[in-house]
Amino acid sequence: MMRALLAGLRPSAKPKLPMLSRLLFPVLCALALASSLAQTPSPTIDLSKFPAAAVDEVVVPVPSEIFNVLDKLGSPNWAGEMRPNLGRNTGNRSQVAMLLGTVIADGFIAVEAENSESVKQIGQEVLNLADAINVRKAVIARSKSIIEKADNKNWRAVREELDGALQDVRGAMVELGDDDLAQLVSIGGWVRGTEVLTSVVKKSYSSNAAELLNQPELLNYFSRRLEQIRNPRLKKEELVAQVRKLVREIRPLIGKGAISQGNVEKINKMTHEMVISIASEES
Amino acid sequence: MKPRLLPPIWLALAIACPVAWATVNDALSFAKEAAAPYAKQGYIIREDAWGGDLGVKDQQAVTAHLYKGNEYGFWLATDTRGAVITVHIYDSDGKLAESEFWQKGRFAGAKIVPNKTGAYYAIVTVEKSPQERSNWALVYGYR
Repeated sequence: MMRALLAGLRPSAKPKLPMLSRLLFPVLCALALASSLAQTPSPTIDLSKFPAAAVDEVVVPVPSEIFNVLDKLGSPNWAGEMRPNLGRNTGNRSQVAMLLGTVIADGFIAVEAENSESVKQIGQEVLNLADAINVRKAVIARSKSIIEKADNKNWRAVREELDGALQDVRGAMVELGDDDLAQLVSIGGWVRGTEVLTSVVKKSYSSNAAELLNQPELLNYFSRRLEQIRNPRLKKEELVAQVRKLVREIRPLIGKGAISQGNVEKINKMTHEMVISIASEES
Repeated sequence: MKPRLLPPIWLALAIACPVAWATVNDALSFAKEAAAPYAKQGYIIREDAWGGDLGVKDQQAVTAHLYKGNEYGFWLATDTRGAVITVHIYDSDGKLAESEFWQKGRFAGAKIVPNKTGAYYAIVTVEKSPQERSNWALVYGYR
């Protein structure tokens, strides 16, 4: 398109087109060029010109995205990362929501360990916990599918079902008007996921692996969501206060640069203690 | 306007009120249609989607946390016949970060191989449209 335009403007080119065509040709070429330029992306944009509400609303990654990277980084001892006990339902809805998040995260670890018995047990536990917060219906099909696919050792499909279970639970809670609780499920999953991730990274530290923890915007987002909890009773709950403090304290440890081994170890200790609190077990 | 997450409740509503929600549903179907061939290339397409409506030349940012080590694809569509839409990916410094993009009428897409883990911005633009506002839907996947 560009070449045709330049060729047409060359002084040596003999005009063979009638007058109207000669006038129209460069105009059409210019229009085509303008249209093509309109679709050429700008090399930079000013993010501050976008509404803060849209820019700050981070799409929370699904756990599979992280495990997909971990797969490429080596073969950690996933069996060693599994918990002997998934925790205890205390009947407190915020605790159950966070516990559900941690149990779903454990599902991913069991998949990595290729332990179908554990995956099946986790699929059942997801159903029990979903029942305790009135969203059982949303995960019945997923739970059955998780168990079935674990039996067939179709690990990729199990991962996708676990991602789907997390989304279905959250969707059902939002539908019930429990947005705050839905957020706690995500946060529970993130806490357990971060505990395992830091445990894996600290055992075989590399800056590439540690970079997976570089998530300041995600932490800012969780922090805002925890501050914005509308239910005053939920906001004051001990476990919610604890997780709010955790997010606040981890934030300075994961800045923009490389995350040191020391900081990885600190985050691991902090998230490990939080998982114990969520599981309502003695440390 | 904030991009909307399109959870299953939207689909349920679409069934209940087919006229009102047909277009949101159509844009989403088209976005999934655009993504489908990439699933065969090993991409895992996320089940959730984002969408809304925009005027001509309006832009919308969808912020996603992407991991170095994965390769991501974003697929965008509109239900408006004759509309031209685009999606481009920028990093947290506002620099263009995609490795490739494509545009074909009501469909558009972009790929990115993040060189660092962090927040990235999918910028959706309605370049032209015969309608005042056009519905759009965005899905993404990774491998």
